[in-house]
Amino acid sequence: MSITSFLKSTLTALALVTGGSLFAQGTPINAAAFDALVAQGPVASADAIAASTWASKIKQAGTLRLGGTQTSNLFSLLNEKDNRLRGFDAGLAQLITRYILGDAAKFQFTQVTSSTREQVLINDQVDMVLATYSITPARAEKISFAGPYYTSQAGVLVKANNKTIQSYNDLAGKKAATQAGSTGPAILAQFAPKAIVQEFQTHQEALDALRQGRVDAYVTDHTLLLNALSLGSGDAKLAGAPFGAQDPYGIGLPKGSDGVAFINAFLKQLQADGTWAKLWTISIGQRTGNTDVPTPPALP
Amino acid sequence: MDEVARLLTDYGPAFGQALFLTWKLTLVSFVPGFVLGVVVTVLRLFPLPPLRWALTLYVEVFRNIPGVALLIFIVFALPDLNVLIDYEHSVILTLALICSAFTADYLRTGINTVAGGQIEAALSLGMRPLRVIVSVVLPQALRAVVQPMTSLLIALMLSTSLASQVPLPGRELTALVSKIATDSAAGMAAFALAAAMYVVTGLLIGWAGAALEKKLRILR
Amino acid sequence: MSRPLEEILFGSPSPRARAITRVVSGIAAAALLALVAAAAMRFHEAGQLEARFWNFFAWPTTWAFLAKGLLGTLASAAMAAVIALTLGLVLMVGRLARPRLVRWPSIALIEFLRGTPTLLLIYACFLVLPSIGVKLSTYWMLTLPIGLSTAAVVAEVYRAGVLAVPRGQTSAARSLGLTEAQVFFLVVFPQALRYIVPALVAQLVIVVKDTTFGYVVTYGELMQNARVLIANYHSLVPVYLVVAALYCLVNYAISRASQRLGRPMH
Repeated sequence: MSITSFLKSTLTALALVTGGSLFAQGTPINAAAFDALVAQGPVASADAIAASTWASKIKQAGTLRLGGTQTSNLFSLLNEKDNRLRGFDAGLAQLITRYILGDAAKFQFTQVTSSTREQVLINDQVDMVLATYSITPARAEKISFAGPYYTSQAGVLVKANNKTIQSYNDLAGKKAATQAGSTGPAILAQFAPKAIVQEFQTHQEALDALRQGRVDAYVTDHTLLLNALSLGSGDAKLAGAPFGAQDPYGIGLPKGSDGVAFINAFLKQLQADGTWAKLWTISIGQRTGNTDVPTPPALP
Repeated sequence: MDEVARLLTDYGPAFGQALFLTWKLTLVSFVPGFVLGVVVTVLRLFPLPPLRWALTLYVEVFRNIPGVALLIFIVFALPDLNVLIDYEHSVILTLALICSAFTADYLRTGINTVAGGQIEAALSLGMRPLRVIVSVVLPQALRAVVQPMTSLLIALMLSTSLASQVPLPGRELTALVSKIATDSAAGMAAFALAAAMYVVTGLLIGWAGAALEKKLRILR
Repeated sequence: MSRPLEEILFGSPSPRARAITRVVSGIAAAALLALVAAAAMRFHEAGQLEARFWNFFAWPTTWAFLAKGLLGTLASAAMAAVIALTLGLVLMVGRLARPRLVRWPSIALIEFLRGTPTLLLIYACFLVLPSIGVKLSTYWMLTLPIGLSTAAVVAEVYRAGVLAVPRGQTSAARSLGLTEAQVFFLVVFPQALRYIVPALVAQLVIVVKDTTFGYVVTYGELMQNARVLIANYHSLVPVYLVVAALYCLVNYAISRASQRLGRPMH
């Protein structure tokens, strides 16, 4: 076929000219350190599990049904070569899996998006959802949250050559992307009510929309934006400092589940023995050039 | 029943707009898709191997590609090739391309029903091949495929539900049901109402198509 | 028609016509090549031909990963096809039954399932059914609506085939003393099947296409694995192109398989 032969010769030519692929896709996660950290997490005693119906059910089933994402660079990314999920959210999920089942790999993964996160818990398709899931009162009516395990303010991302938007104050009349079902729409309604909002199902789609010029700005959690910058393509920048209330990320659980108390106790343990800080450093800190570990949020 | 009443008071206008958007997307995609399909069919008749080969590839690709895959490609991948199409036009383009491929297919079958004697007679009258195709073959072929084209139009109307997968400025019926079901408890009523609207629209198109076919049918 | 249209219109050309055809063919070929070259140039200008966007396709792990996704697609499609073919038969029998109490609900059910978009039915299984207590597994949330929706279309295809079987067959079978059921299943239906196999296979292709809605109910299939590759390598255009080509190939193969079976209705 003429197309493939043309492409092949063009590829070869380009490879010769550019000296092969030198592009750095941000700093990849230190896989060895991540795998080691998750493998030496604590395992719960039989009593602790028996005290929680949620945990006992999982133990009996032999596998934890996890709702998360596979396409979030800092928080949970699937490496299709070794089939391992790595990131901050992924690490927490695997530590919880190991805590209950003794093996961090015994989870069954389901990809969720902003609009399916609550429904999969209501439908009993998953046991818990760990997917940069902000705790809001509206959501807390349908499901229960454990945590918070992380907090982040909102930020505004624009293209590097954008001179008109310096902060969220300049978004009036501009097209702003945000994730559907996240706190983004509410934040935009409060801080930039005159912006034209476009909602996307995933973080990746919103980033692509900004890169492709469909929107002028992307408003979402500051950490996710640092993620975008860490990919180092150099054509985006933050407009202004993080703003708004501290957005707490929680772990979604079925409504009224006693897994909340169970996981909160475990999260306290992770904060106390430094695992939280180590996980943050490996998955976020080292990849965004940040060395000050933030203090983990206070647990109820 | 009062759930339906409540639904209508809360979302009545939204349903009206959604139905209108569904009809609009259907019509605006069908017309260019149909015309394109006719053009492709006619061009495929000419004895030019490269053209036939390319158009056969076109028809096979757009007959077999899933609508979602094509829409996602147009909306998310084309901008990386510096082709930025806004959402509504992306949906219309997707539907029109797929419609054109199926039209080309059905019309080809319709052309096969035209008797060979017609062509030979037209040629012996001194008509050029293109004139024969346009004046003798196509009118009869089109009249023969009213029924499959009606089915295609109904399928196209149902396919407008694809539009719920991109952030359109307006909401069509499926997107509206999805929103109501997520935000409130009136999901069942919303689903029933939207299903009724789709079914009725389909039946109307079907009846119109049957009436048209009866008028245009060539009795042999 | 005895000879294809093209042969009548353009067959046995004069030497001059042959020469003109050759020239115009050449021009057409050149125009197509120019189109392809322009597309390639567009790729190149947009930076889409860089090695980093394509080199992972040389790794077997990439293809194994895509194959896993395809398996998810086919697992759902196969079961949905089974549901469609069997339930379609039931619906058709109900549709053709003599008692009104059986016929009218069948007609209503067929029109309802045929007249609503499959995506709407999928949303109903995912969002609406759980609110009345019906909680299906992820796999069934995708497979069941596709199966039901296709069953209605299959029922109509079966009916068209049955109605196309010559009435003489039914009369002859009855006169031999066969029961109604035997007449249908031993004489009419096998003949109807031979007419409608292409139409049935066309429905199979539609079933495969419908599985791309899997992400709506969080079912993992080929499109989802494509997104993971994109998140890892930031290669939107190549990955989507390859995945679209995979879908086209699978569906084309299914359609071609049907051309070896069945004969047209007239």
